[in-house]
Amino acid sequence: MMQKRIYVCENSIDGIFTAIYKAWALGYGHANNKIEVFCEQGEYSNMELFSEYIPIETDYSLVVKVARSIQSKISEEAYQMVCNVALSNDSGKADLIYRFLILGFSMGAKVVQHLSNEIVNRMFQLSRRVNNEVHHMLGFIRFAEQESGVLTCVIHPQNNILSLVVPHFADRLPQERFIIIDGSRNTAALHVPGKQWIIIESENISENVMKQFSGKESEYQDLWKTFFDSIAIKERANYKLQRNNLPLRFRKDMTEFQ
Amino acid sequence: MVIQENMSIQRKLEILSDAAKFDVACTSSGVDRKGNGSGMGNSLACGICHTFSADGRCISLLKILFTNECIFDCKYCINRSSNDVVRATFTPEEVCELTMEFYRRNYIEGLFLSSGILISPNHTMELLLRTLVLLREVHHFNGYIHCKAIPGSDPALIEMLGWYADRMSVNLELPTAESLKELAPHKNRKNILKPIRQIQLRREHEYGFLGLEDQQRIRKQLTAFDDGTDTNNEFYEIIKQQTGLTTYTPKPKLNRHFVPAGQSTQMIIGATKETDYQIMRVSEALYHNFNLKRVFYSAFVNVNQDSRLPATEGGPPLLREHRLYQADWLIRFYGFQIKDLLSEKNPNFNVLLDPKCDWALRHLEMFPVEVNKADYYTLLKVPGIGTNSVKRIIMARKNATLDFKDLKKLGVVLKRAVYFITCNGKMMYPININEDFITRQLIAGKERLPAGIGQDITYRQLSLFNDFNLTTESLASNSHGKGCVI
Repeated sequence: MMQKRIYVCENSIDGIFTAIYKAWALGYGHANNKIEVFCEQGEYSNMELFSEYIPIETDYSLVVKVARSIQSKISEEAYQMVCNVALSNDSGKADLIYRFLILGFSMGAKVVQHLSNEIVNRMFQLSRRVNNEVHHMLGFIRFAEQESGVLTCVIHPQNNILSLVVPHFADRLPQERFIIIDGSRNTAALHVPGKQWIIIESENISENVMKQFSGKESEYQDLWKTFFDSIAIKERANYKLQRNNLPLRFRKDMTEFQ
Repeated sequence: MVIQENMSIQRKLEILSDAAKFDVACTSSGVDRKGNGSGMGNSLACGICHTFSADGRCISLLKILFTNECIFDCKYCINRSSNDVVRATFTPEEVCELTMEFYRRNYIEGLFLSSGILISPNHTMELLLRTLVLLREVHHFNGYIHCKAIPGSDPALIEMLGWYADRMSVNLELPTAESLKELAPHKNRKNILKPIRQIQLRREHEYGFLGLEDQQRIRKQLTAFDDGTDTNNEFYEIIKQQTGLTTYTPKPKLNRHFVPAGQSTQMIIGATKETDYQIMRVSEALYHNFNLKRVFYSAFVNVNQDSRLPATEGGPPLLREHRLYQADWLIRFYGFQIKDLLSEKNPNFNVLLDPKCDWALRHLEMFPVEVNKADYYTLLKVPGIGTNSVKRIIMARKNATLDFKDLKKLGVVLKRAVYFITCNGKMMYPININEDFITRQLIAGKERLPAGIGQDITYRQLSLFNDFNLTTESLASNSHGKGCVI
C-alpha cells in the first residue's frame, strides 16, 4: 500500500489552490492525495495513520494558474462555485474542491449540471449555503452611526462571507464611510467614498471601540424598535415561523432584538 | 376623534405603522437597479427581507400610512371614520427623514407608503406625491418605493406618482363588487379598477415606446372573455374603454421607468361569503387582464367587532389564506388554470391536502410520470416536485440516468412524489394506483404546513350550526312552532 499524502494548507482560496496545484504536479496519484485546511483552534485533530503530512506554503503565482485553468477549461460558473465553497465553514471543503476539479477537468463545463454525482451535489449544496447566508446578511446587517459619522456594524456569520457582502453595501451607500467587522474571524471591511473598499485582518480589531454613538443614534434605534413592535399583527402571533425565517443566531447582532 | 397637534414622531410612527400592518404586500422585489454612485440606494430584483416580526411575516419596507385621518367608513378597517382611535398625520419631511435614516442603517429596503383619505382623494394623493418627489429629488433616494394609488384621485396625479415609485398598488379589498358595496360604502369597484387599468396602459405604452411590447399577451387578453361570467363582464367594461383612462402627461426629467416593478393588489379573505373558487377566478382574471405582478390575500381579522362581519374567534383563517397562496403559485408558475383546481360544484380547497395533490388524485390517469423523460410542465404537475427541483432534474438527467436516491438529493419530496413517478420505468415500491389508497397514504404522511397554521384541522368539535347549515329559522319552521326554544 502506498503511503497517503495529506497536504495541509492555509484556510483560504489561495491556500487551497496552491495545495491543489502542488498535489497535482507531484503526480503521486489522486487517490493517494488528500487536502486539508489548517485549523488553528484545533477544531478537529483526527490525524490519520500511514500518511505523510505535508505543509503547503501559499504561492500566489500558482494560485493565478489554477484560477485561470478553471475559468478557461471548465467554466466561469464552476469557478464561482469553487470560490463560494472555499469560503464555507465545512471542514472537508479543500478535498472536496480537489475532487470536483479532477472531475471538472475531464468533463468540462457540464460538470456543474452533473447533480446526481456525490461530489458535485455536495459542492452545489455548500455553495448554496454560502449564497443563502450572504443573502440573509444583506438584510440582517444593522449599521450604527458613530460620533464621527462612520457607520459600523458587527456580524458573526458561519461562513467567511465578508468579501461577498461588502460589494452590495459599497454600491448601496456610495457616499458613506462604513466598517463591517466579522467578530469571529478578526477581519473588517472598510469603505470610504470614492475609493476601493478593502478588507483587513488583524488581532487588534475589537468590537468595543465602536460604542461612541452619535447623539441621534439611540433615537433612531428606538424608532426602529417601535416600528418593529407595532407592525406585528397580534392576532397572528407566530414565534415558530419567526424563528424559521430569522434563526436565533442572527439576532444578537440585530438592533430590534437587543 | 382625537387630533393632537404636537405629537412626537415616535408616537406618530407607532400609530401609523400599527394602522398599516394589515397591508400584506411588503415585498421589495421586481426591479434590479444599481447604485448611481452619488445618491443612496440600489435595488435587487429578488427582494431582501430585513427582519421578521412576531407574526413571522417579513419586514422589508418601512410600511406606514401617511395619515389615518380617513373620511371613509369601511366596516373592516380600524381607521374607519366612525371609530374612536387616535389619529395622526405625517408631514412629507418626516417620512423622508425616517426613510433615509432607516435605510442608511440597513433597517429597511425602502418605503411602502399607503394612506387613509385625508380631506379628499386628490388632497391625499398630492401629499403622497410631494413626499416621493422630495425623497427622489432632494434626498436622492434610489432605493425601493411602493406607493398606493388612491382610487378616485385625478389620473394626472396617479401618472406623475408612477414616475417616482417602483411599484404601485390599488387594493381590491373584497373579491366581489357586491361585498365591496356592503362593507365599504364609500368605495366602488369601477373606481378601484380604473387606476389599475390606467397604470397598466401607461406601462405598456412605455414598453411599446422602448420596443418591448408583448404582442402575444395583448392578444391573449382580448380573447380571454369567452365564458361571460360576472367577473369578466365587469373587467371587460373597464378594458374595452380605450380612451380617457390615461393622460400621457410628459415624463418628468428623471432617469426612471414608469412603475418598473409593476403593480399588485390585495383582497381580504373570510370577511365575506365568497368561495375559494370565486376568489381565485377574480385573481386569475386580474393576472390575465391587468398584468398584475401579484395578488395578495389577507386573512380577515375582525378588529372592529362589527356585527356585520364574521367573528374570528378561532383566529384568522390562516389555512385558507395558505391554500389560496398555494393555488396562486400553481397558476403563475406551474401552468395550472383555476378551472383545473376548482369548479362551481367543488368551490373550496381541501383542508387536508394541498391543491396540487388534490388535483393529481383526481387525474390519476396522467400518472405515473417517467422522471428521466417527461418534459418540464409534466414534471411540474407531480406533487412533491417544485420549480427548483424540476430545473435540477432536467439539468442532472443530461449526464446520468436518475434514480430515486438521486431525486432525494435534488430536493424532491419523495414522501409525496413516490406515488406519481417512475425512475427508469420502475416505481420505488409496488404501488397500487388507486385514488383511495393514495389519498389515505398522503393524508397519513402529514403535509408540512408553515409553522403555526392548522394544527387543529383534523380534530374539531362538530358544530350543529356551522357544519350542517342549520339556522334558527329553519329549525323553528321544522319544529312547526311547537315551542322549541333555541
